[in-house]
Amino acid sequence: MTPPAAANGASRPGGGDVLLEVRHLVQEFVLRDYGGAKGGVLQAVSDVSFGLCAGETLGIVGETGSGKSTLARSVIQAPPPKAGAVIFEGKDLVGLSSRAMKPVRRHLQIVFQDPFTSLDPKWAVSRIVAEPLVAYAIGSRRERRDRVNALLDLVGLDPARYGRRHPRELSGGQAQRVAIARALVLEPKLILCDEPVSSLDVLVQAQVLNLFEKLRSDLKLSYLFIAHDLALVKQVSDRVAVMYLGKLCEIGPVRDIYRQPLHPYTLALLASIPSPTPGKRVTRGVISGELPSPLNPPSGCRFRTRCPRAQDRCAAEAPELRAVGGQGHLVACHFPLTGGSSTPAESTAVRR
Amino acid sequence: MAVPVADALSPALPDDDAVAARRFPRAHGLMRTLEITIPAAVLLVLLFFCFIWPVVYPVPKPTGGSILNAGLPMWSPGHIFGTDTVGNDIMARILYGGQISFEVAAAVQVIGLVVGGLLGMVAGYQGGPLESVLMRTLDVFIAFPSLVLVLAIVDSLGQSELNVIWALSAFSIPAFARVARAGTLRLRDQPFVVAARLSSAKPWRILSGHVVPNLMPQLVTFSLLGAGVTIILEGALDFLGYGIPDPAPSWGKEIAVGQTMLSVRPSLVIVPSIFLFVTVVCLNLMGDGLRARWGVRS
Amino acid sequence: MTRPLGQRVRRVAATTAGAWSAARDEPAPSGPEPGAAPLLDVAGLRVRFRSHGRAVHAVQGISFTVEPGQTVAIIGESGSGKTVSAYAVMGLLPRTAHVFGSIRFKGVELVGRSERDLQQHRGRNAAMVFQDPERSLNPTMRIGSQITEAVRRHLPLDRKEAQERAVELLGMVRIPTPERRFYEYPHQLSGGMRQRVVIAIALACKPALLIADEATTALDVTTQAQIMDLLLDLQQELGTALLMISHDLALAASYAEEVIVMYAGRVVERAAARDLFGSVRMPYTRALLNAIPRTELEPHVLLPVVGGLPPDLSAVGPGCPFAPRCPDAQQDCQRLTPPLEEHEIGHWWACWHPCEGGPGEGGPGGAKEAAQ
Repeated sequence: MTPPAAANGASRPGGGDVLLEVRHLVQEFVLRDYGGAKGGVLQAVSDVSFGLCAGETLGIVGETGSGKSTLARSVIQAPPPKAGAVIFEGKDLVGLSSRAMKPVRRHLQIVFQDPFTSLDPKWAVSRIVAEPLVAYAIGSRRERRDRVNALLDLVGLDPARYGRRHPRELSGGQAQRVAIARALVLEPKLILCDEPVSSLDVLVQAQVLNLFEKLRSDLKLSYLFIAHDLALVKQVSDRVAVMYLGKLCEIGPVRDIYRQPLHPYTLALLASIPSPTPGKRVTRGVISGELPSPLNPPSGCRFRTRCPRAQDRCAAEAPELRAVGGQGHLVACHFPLTGGSSTPAESTAVRR
Repeated sequence: MAVPVADALSPALPDDDAVAARRFPRAHGLMRTLEITIPAAVLLVLLFFCFIWPVVYPVPKPTGGSILNAGLPMWSPGHIFGTDTVGNDIMARILYGGQISFEVAAAVQVIGLVVGGLLGMVAGYQGGPLESVLMRTLDVFIAFPSLVLVLAIVDSLGQSELNVIWALSAFSIPAFARVARAGTLRLRDQPFVVAARLSSAKPWRILSGHVVPNLMPQLVTFSLLGAGVTIILEGALDFLGYGIPDPAPSWGKEIAVGQTMLSVRPSLVIVPSIFLFVTVVCLNLMGDGLRARWGVRS
Repeated sequence: MTRPLGQRVRRVAATTAGAWSAARDEPAPSGPEPGAAPLLDVAGLRVRFRSHGRAVHAVQGISFTVEPGQTVAIIGESGSGKTVSAYAVMGLLPRTAHVFGSIRFKGVELVGRSERDLQQHRGRNAAMVFQDPERSLNPTMRIGSQITEAVRRHLPLDRKEAQERAVELLGMVRIPTPERRFYEYPHQLSGGMRQRVVIAIALACKPALLIADEATTALDVTTQAQIMDLLLDLQQELGTALLMISHDLALAASYAEEVIVMYAGRVVERAAARDLFGSVRMPYTRALLNAIPRTELEPHVLLPVVGGLPPDLSAVGPGCPFAPRCPDAQQDCQRLTPPLEEHEIGHWWACWHPCEGGPGEGGPGGAKEAAQ
């Protein structure tokens, strides 16, 4: 069995140790028909493996049905995955009792997408941020208050002005800062960010992204950053993983992925991003058709029904994640795009 | 900047532009306030007259009237609403009867909220076999035709105000449990509860700190609406003769007794009916108004 | 969480309702004729809501035009008034909204019209595609029926002809096997397909103007690209003008000819797309451009940001609305409201101290980050 670092492309920026290792993770949901009968099984995450080193940010990109959010929830065991291992700081989290999980949770926190549902609307801001401290019975009342104030300052909220407010009296950006402060209060090592800026306006989004960056460098955090926006993910990540219908398509260092995408789906994603350069139309022909039903994914390579490069082999055999191209750059494709330019075979259409 | 009050079960009003919704709330402040304060004021007046007035003012006793006084019409001196067939002052019977109605309604709702709410919350949060057992047991009670069940209970326990309360609670408890369970299920999946669980907060803390405060608006409005139903049910019980024992008065009983004399002295029925009607309407209006203001989903 | 039924019905009605009297099938306009009057002429539009006893000025005197067949984008963040403006053009604002100013469609004034006239206008002259296709389609009706219902409102066709037309429309929006899809329910379709159906319904009566209110925001980026391509192709085919409402500046750059930037209920900059992005003038627009993450940038670079929040629309005072947050603000910016003027040909802006032009990257006051 190949050592983890090579199998999942974990690089070691700054020589950090492997903090999180996910091996062959599978998460399923049983769909119930009326009357509770078993309707079908949805495999939201299928055999996903990757690693994350201390101090690095791994961005996970995918569209609807890719399973990226489910992956995040599985890592924090809410709910635990059907199969596979989640090794955090050397301990496998799958199957741990909630008592055994308690010390682990100090170092593994999550920030959700919508701050207004991730904060109790009836609680004041300082109480929200203090909640984890209370749960772990850390510090006296005064010490907790001091720590909460320090964190609010750190995320850019004046404790005197905002400590007593309730979430509905905050803007989206402010509320998300509170959520971030709460995630930081136990001094975690790894923060899972599940689309943390998707519900924010553009200008506020930039502020919060900068906050993530600042915290990362100041507090030496690692992030598992989940988003559907490729450009956003590039902003914050050291490595990027692309998911489609529950499977990992490509994973590698951020510059390699964007300069030289190997998987046709990655190329399609990149090509679909509108760029603020006027008149540059999105290239056609990089992707076709609709997303297949996750209940009944295509045989072999799941992307083959929409891939312009699909061949017979793609239907017969599911491609494995293997190293192609640069160090640590893995792709699951029988016919990956060769190195060189990232433009597709079809010509680009420039509009107007 | 004023914003509609929201709780976790019912986030701020839906709109295409989430921020705009916070800035243009659709609840018309003044109207909503009137919708709540006017019925509340009326109820307070009624409560005052039923409970406090007889203490400070010498109201004639509701029982033990002299036959010499029987059959006095409305607006007689000393008897505003007249007297009934055995000489009791109608006004007194209304006031003391109102005490019974309000006491029963309050007790039944409180028992329902506390016991039923607790059961439902625990069932919803824990899930699994505990939930199934609890809910199926309560389903048995709900499945019975309401009045039959209540009659059966009162019949076996004997007639008294307390037993009426127990009997009607057999209803309110499952009803509250259902509402509490549904609300808890919804809350349990809300990110802030998930976040609390991920912060390793103890379940009882989560329930008391997160679930209960967000469940309360729904339960309170439910109890107001339920109070109206309870008063009517209690009246129905008295009407059927299974309610509080004679000679204690209650609104339902007055209506029951009076309806035999409907053609001769309609006021015997009309007066208690008006009180009953006004009370239930006010409770309903308050319940609806609070529900709209708090944005509770029904 | 479902919207109240009335709202859902109203939305479906907005895209399907038409004349109760028989309407003729107007031939599709063949494209902009030189010197023709603008299709949509909004002048001095103001919208005011009353909330909790205070007036909220959602739109404060905006003016713009849309030519026949043109693609115009209105860009703004939440609370900028862009959606309210779009609703005003469609006549969809609730009665609690007070609308002032002028909205002329093909020369006909829409402000102050009766609901009956507005129903005629909606669907026939202008149609709207909303953000969430789930809310625009009736989940209990087959999609074919929803299209035929729209078709038969305007055109005197019998059931069979309407069905053929519906299938034709489904094909036009590039739904494969339209004859089969005709009988399906909305939940059987993916988000992208549903949005195509909504577009089909909107185009059923060949309106001269199609308003897309964040029509692709809820879709995946690959689907978004497909839908935008579709919209633009249909535009070419039918000669429909497209008014895109979005918060996505990049989307506007890629697809629109003219871009209007709104902030706090006002238009702050307006130009042809290449002029706007090629030489940004208004500091707010520049801030927006700077804040967009781009694949050209290196990772871990801090984005230039402006702090603060958009102003409270119930307390509108003099001065530029962006002044409190503007890195280039001067004394006069707080006191005097800059008017929207055409400072260069085809490029309008409302700023006393505009930027020096050039693409929006860095520039003066670039990397300023402030907490609120």
